[in-house]
Parts: sequence; C-alpha cells; structure tokens
Amino acid sequence: MRFLRLLFVFWRIGILGELSYRSNFIFHLLESVLELGTALAGLAVVFSHTSTLGGWRPDEIVALVGIYFLVSGAIRMVIQPSMERLIEAVHEGTLDFTLTKPEDAQLLVSIQKVEVWSITDIVLGAGVLVVALVRLGANVGLWEAAAFAASLVAGAVIVYSFWLMLATLAFWFVRVENMLQIFSSMYEAGRWPVGFYPRWLRFMLTFLIPVAFATTVPAQALAGRLSWPTLAGAFALAAMLAVLSRVFWRVGVRRYSSASS
Amino acid sequence: MAISPAVDIHDLHKTFVVPEREGGMRAALASLVRRRKQEVKAVDGISFVLSPGEIVGFLGPNGAGKTTTLKMLSGLLHPTAGTVTVLGYVPWERDRGFLRRITLVMGQRNQLVWDIPPIDSFELNRAVYRVPAAEYRRTLDELTELLELGPLLKKPVRNLSLGERMKCEVAAALLHRPQVVFLDEPTIGLDVTMQRRIRGFISEHNRRHGATVLLTSHYMADVEALCRRVIVIHHGRLLFDGDLAKLVERFTSHKTIVVSLGDCGADLSPYGEVVSCTDGDVTLRVPKSETARVTGRLLADLPVMDLTVEDPPIEEVIDRVFREELS
Amino acid sequence: MRGLAGIYAQQFKVTMASFIQYRAALVIWLIGHVLEPLIYLVVWSTVSRSAGGSVGGFTAADFAAYFIVLMIVNHMTYTWIMYEYEYRVRQGTLSPDLLRPVHPIHSDIADNLTSKLITLPGMLVIAVSLGFIFRPALHTVLWAIAAFIPVVLLAFAVRFVIEWTLALAAFWTIRTSALNQMYFMAMLFFSGQIAPLELLPHPLRVIAFVLPFRWTIGFPTELLLGRLTPTQTLTGMGMQAAWLAAGLVLMRVVWRAGLKVYSAVGA
Repeated sequence: MRFLRLLFVFWRIGILGELSYRSNFIFHLLESVLELGTALAGLAVVFSHTSTLGGWRPDEIVALVGIYFLVSGAIRMVIQPSMERLIEAVHEGTLDFTLTKPEDAQLLVSIQKVEVWSITDIVLGAGVLVVALVRLGANVGLWEAAAFAASLVAGAVIVYSFWLMLATLAFWFVRVENMLQIFSSMYEAGRWPVGFYPRWLRFMLTFLIPVAFATTVPAQALAGRLSWPTLAGAFALAAMLAVLSRVFWRVGVRRYSSASS
Repeated sequence: MAISPAVDIHDLHKTFVVPEREGGMRAALASLVRRRKQEVKAVDGISFVLSPGEIVGFLGPNGAGKTTTLKMLSGLLHPTAGTVTVLGYVPWERDRGFLRRITLVMGQRNQLVWDIPPIDSFELNRAVYRVPAAEYRRTLDELTELLELGPLLKKPVRNLSLGERMKCEVAAALLHRPQVVFLDEPTIGLDVTMQRRIRGFISEHNRRHGATVLLTSHYMADVEALCRRVIVIHHGRLLFDGDLAKLVERFTSHKTIVVSLGDCGADLSPYGEVVSCTDGDVTLRVPKSETARVTGRLLADLPVMDLTVEDPPIEEVIDRVFREELS
Repeated sequence: MRGLAGIYAQQFKVTMASFIQYRAALVIWLIGHVLEPLIYLVVWSTVSRSAGGSVGGFTAADFAAYFIVLMIVNHMTYTWIMYEYEYRVRQGTLSPDLLRPVHPIHSDIADNLTSKLITLPGMLVIAVSLGFIFRPALHTVLWAIAAFIPVVLLAFAVRFVIEWTLALAAFWTIRTSALNQMYFMAMLFFSGQIAPLELLPHPLRVIAFVLPFRWTIGFPTELLLGRLTPTQTLTGMGMQAAWLAAGLVLMRVVWRAGLKVYSAVGA
C-alpha cells in the first residue's frame, strides 16, 4: 500500500540519520531511566502505606506505569516530532513545499519526523510491563491480549488525532508549541488509574485530553477489567476523532491557502 | 493550430486582510478586546500567458505581488478573483497530476531536511513523486554533473554553505522532471559566482528539457542573464510585459554618456547631470533628445580621449520605474 | 540603586507586554502547576481511604490541605531559568546581556516576579476552587502565618539562587536536560511534592533534611499548615539561611567560571 511504502521510506531515512549519534542515545537512556525510577519510587512510597489502592493491586499499577511509559515513548517517537515540525513549517512557510507535493499533505506532515531514541521509553516501559505481568502471575489469555492490542490501537488513533488537531491550530495562532504542552502536562495524570480522579477530572482526561484511552483503558484490558461498552466507546471515539481531525486539517489548510503571503 | 499555453492568467486579484496594531501598552490591551483589520491588495488585476519552454522573468520590488502570484500559480493560494490555468489544470484544485508536473524553489526557504544528507532528501522526493528507479538515476547523474554536487550529496545539509545548499535545493526540485518550474528569488543571498552558476544551470536545463520557467527576482542580473521576456509588476499591477530590450527603450528618458578626459578637474555640469567621475572618466546623464547635441559639444569643447553613449543600467531604469511608476 | 529600580521597572513592562501577547502559554503553564499536586492529592486521599481513614497522621482532608498549599508555595517559588539559559546560550542572545553593565540576574529576577504578579492571582482562584471541591482541613496558628512571609521569601531566594546556578551549566554543555531531569527528580522527592516528607521512610527523611529542596517548598507548606513547632520553624529558617549562603557562594564561583568558558569558546 502506498501509505506503508511512504511510511517506510520516511522512517527508514529518519532512523538511519540518527543512528550515528550514540551520545544522544546514552543521554536519552539516562533521562528515561531517571523518569521511570522516580515513578516507581513514588509508587514504592505509596505502597509502603497500603496494600491495595482503590481496588488496584500494586503490580497492576506497576503494569499501568509500564504502559504509560510505553505509550509515552511511542508518542515522543512518532507523533510529537512530526507535529512540532508541522507547527514550525506553518510559521516559516516551508509548509508550501509540502503542499506542492503530489501526496496527501496530512500524510506527509504526520510521518515527516521520527525521534529515534525515544525507543528507550518504549523498551523500558515494555520491560516494566512484562515484569509486572509476571509478578501478577497474570492470566493474560487470548481475549485479554486481543483487547489490549485493540485498545492500544484505538488509543493511538485517538492520541494522534488529538495532537493533529492541536497542531492544526498553528494555522490560526502563533505560539501553538505551548498548546502541544497541554497534552504532555495532562498526560502526567495517566500514571494512575483514571478512576481515582474526581468525576470532573475524569471527564476531562477521557473526553477533553484523551489520556484515559492511552493508558488506563489498555491497562484495564490487560487486567481483565475492561468492559465491552468501554472498548466499543474507544473505537467510536477513535473513528469520530479521526474524521474530525481530518476535517479540521482541511479547514486549516484552506485558511493557510487564503491568508499566507 | 495554436499550442496551448503552459500558464494562462486572466484578471487575477488577491486581497489580504491583515490585522493592524500599533506599539505600546494601551494598544496591546486594546487589541485584546477588538482587532483592527486592514485590506491589502497584493495582486490587482494582472493577466499574461506563458508558452511552453519560455523562460520569463517576473520583476518587481519587495511587496510588489510577485511571490503572491507565484503562489497562486502553484496552487498554494486561492485568488480573490480571476482565472488561472497551468498546464490545463486549475492550480488550487491541487490535482495530483498537476502537482507532479510542477515544482517550486524558494530562495529563502529550504525543503531539504536539515539533519540528513541531501541524497536522503532526494530519496524522499523520489518516493513522493514516484520517480521510477532508472529515470531517477539518470536525472540524478545529470543534475550532479551540471551542478557539481558530487562531494555535497552525503554531507548533512546543515554542514553545507548557503550556496551549496541552494544547488542541492534546486536539484531536489528537479528530480521529477517537472514541466513548469517556479523559481522565487533563487539567487538571493548568494555570492556572485554562485549566482552565475545557478543561472547557467537554469539556462542549460531549460535548453535540454524545455521546461517552462517563471523566475521572480529583484536582481536585474538574473533576468538579464536568463530571460528574453520580462514581466514587470508593481503594487500588484503589471507595468510591462515584453522583450527586455524594449523595456529599457520604453522606460528611459535619458542616456548615459561616459567621457574619458584624463582627470577629474573639469566641471561638466553645463553639459548635463554629472553622475560620477572616476580616474578621469566622467559619467553624464542627459535627456535622450539632447544626446546628439551634447555629444557634439563635448567633442568640440574638450580634449576627449574616448566617448561612449549608453543606455542607463537596467537597474537604474527599473528603480526609476518603481519609484515614479512611469507608464 | 536608581539604576536597578529602572531595570526592574523596564523588565516589568517587557514581561507584561509579552504576556498579553502570548496568553495561551500562560494557561498551559498553570495547568502543569495545578495538575501535579492535584494528582498526588487524589492518590494520597485514595491511600488514606484504602488504609482506613488516615495515613501517617494525614486524613484525606489533611492531604487536601497539604497539596493545595503546596501548589501555591511551589508557584510562588518556582523558576524556569534553566530553560531560559539553555535557550539563550543556544541562540547566542546571551552576549548582549553580558555587555550590559548590570549583572543579568537582576532582569531574571524581575522577569520572574513580574510573571508571578500575573499568574499568582489565577492560581489563588484555582486554589480556592479546589478548596471547595476537596474540603481541606485548615487549622493553623497566627504566628505561623506571620512567619510564613519571611520563610517563603527565603524559600524563593534559595530556590532561585540554586536554579540560577544550575542554569549556568548551559555554558559547559548543551545536554542540560539530563542534568535538569536529575535535579527535578531529586526536587520531586525531597521537597515534599510526591508525598509529605513525614511519610517517607526515615533514611530518606534525613537526606531530605540535609538537602536544600525541603527548604524551598515543603518547609513553608508545613509551616503554613501549622504542622511545625516554633523550634522546628527556627531550625528550618536556619537551614534556609545556610543554603542561601552556600548557594550564593556557589553561584559566584560558577558564574565566574562560566564567563571564562563562554568568552573562550566564543560569545
């Protein structure tokens, strides 16, 4: 498929380009380990005072942390860099080049940049997740694994669409890089089950800034706590946001095509 | 049996709405509540036609509407009014077939990815434009040879000098053998040697492949070197469309006389406007109608060693055109 | 002295103008500052409920009070100076600053304080709103409130000096983010942002006493909540003074060394 071919070409070149910078890798690894260490240490402090937390067992929350880092790594690797580059391109006017290419512009701007070393987050997160699952002696059967994969995919689409809509604001506003920060700030809350938060915050984390679908829902799937309505809701939201972000993108490009000089 | 034009513009208009604000604290607070807008007419009713294979210079000072016109031709901007066809397509419909046949090079902006070598950016373009492998090889070899890209291809773009970067930019834009090439100030910021090289390349490329080239610039040298036909634009309107030679003839009211006298002691102001004197060569500016008379008097009155009558430099002509809007 | 006042006044105008221009950035920052203590508030409240009502002497209401006050204290003392300097060195805009006859720290302080003039009211509104939502247990004493003022000023001074010195690492390396990360991790733990320091295991509490982080955020918070005795308060202020002194010394040393490096490498 055309999409896959382009994806492969862009990513291959992006990754190969970075591979020679080993020091970047070391430093990234250091930061990731520090961040993960702090998260787990915080967990340790919390669980030194209680044996369960709001119905969740310690290792289930560790699994959630693993997913949190894994998803965070994925976002930092393939979504964030392209969206940041998009905002730059809108302001510098280099988006013009993308718009004169015979390919879908949304596709081109979404795959244009890869932050290779964020793979350390993905690996570390996956590692923590696996360890937690082992310790749980979890019965992760076929259904749970499938639900997990499905909710991750839905989560990915939701998060991507959200980031794209944020970045599309660059067509109207100047300092949009700060807007991207909204997601990263709110994402912090994903380290704990979204169910802990008061209803208004839970609502925000589910429907306003889609943190819940990125972290808690997949974790619930693995722990066998995911209900069918929630999973169906995730897919519905994913489909809706995919369409909405596309429409918004086209409106933005239309505006750029009327206004830039 | 007329050949269909490559580019056909008719009564094109583009008006922008721009927010305006003065400096100072009070204005800043006021703008929180209400933004004032202003209409700017960037392109105010222009029409022209380009035949396939022409290299045309699009000349005008900054803010004249050149870039805006170019953007409407490449589909980046929607006009406010008027019609545009390029290769039979309407540019802002952004048909894939259209986009595959055009290219855009902008002087101040790069499409090459900053951290990777140009060859990798070329690969990306190849994938996007779906250039078959063999054809890509051939085009790349030709461009490498013509632009002397050999040692540059594998160095990261950020390590290249401005001129080297520009050469690679131009190459990247031509990998898919477009039929229409839009060049927006391609030589801006480059040193003289590099400017000449790029110009030479464009001319050679056009000779070999017959692409239609629309080149905007405010450097007269670009236009002189490459274009037989020149379109002059100012304040969004066309001032002139035709041969370069006729441009000078139409817009000059004066001629330049250079007299070699050996030293700069003599005062030649009775003869005409003295522009400068260097090493005994006096440059005079006289009205066209007076040229013969003044020349005669100079030869009669002074120990003239050499005398030439020239058209004023085209820069000067254009400058006056822009400043006075002679029509 | 007139010159310094002028600089502060001028920086005030500049910061105000740029804030009005870039209002969105404002809101985003506030979100981060509110969300983190909010998260821990919720988590620890959940812990106290799961553990039968209270943990280590903190009920859910106590946690609410702690983290809401912490949020305000953090906002009063925070700086972004590390990012600022990393940016300035990278862009080369530091050189003109160095050419001015005044130490650049003054405009940095002015910028910081001016920004807070704008954002602090918003934070207070948020704090009050959170108060309505979470029903914190507020019982404090008058002397503690009075003592809070010098304590929080000292806390700001200590934090600013330390973070300003840390910011100068930008002179030596572009990889300041790893260094900053280490600082923030330590700060998170030992300042009382992850949990009230009383809830940390004993060895960590000792470390927290010695390090400066507690004295920038945790200590003023504990004071205002009426959780400290007068003796503890005075000891704390002593620690603040000590760390301020140490910080100032370190700052001068690093600043001189940094200038040498910066001008050697090329301004």
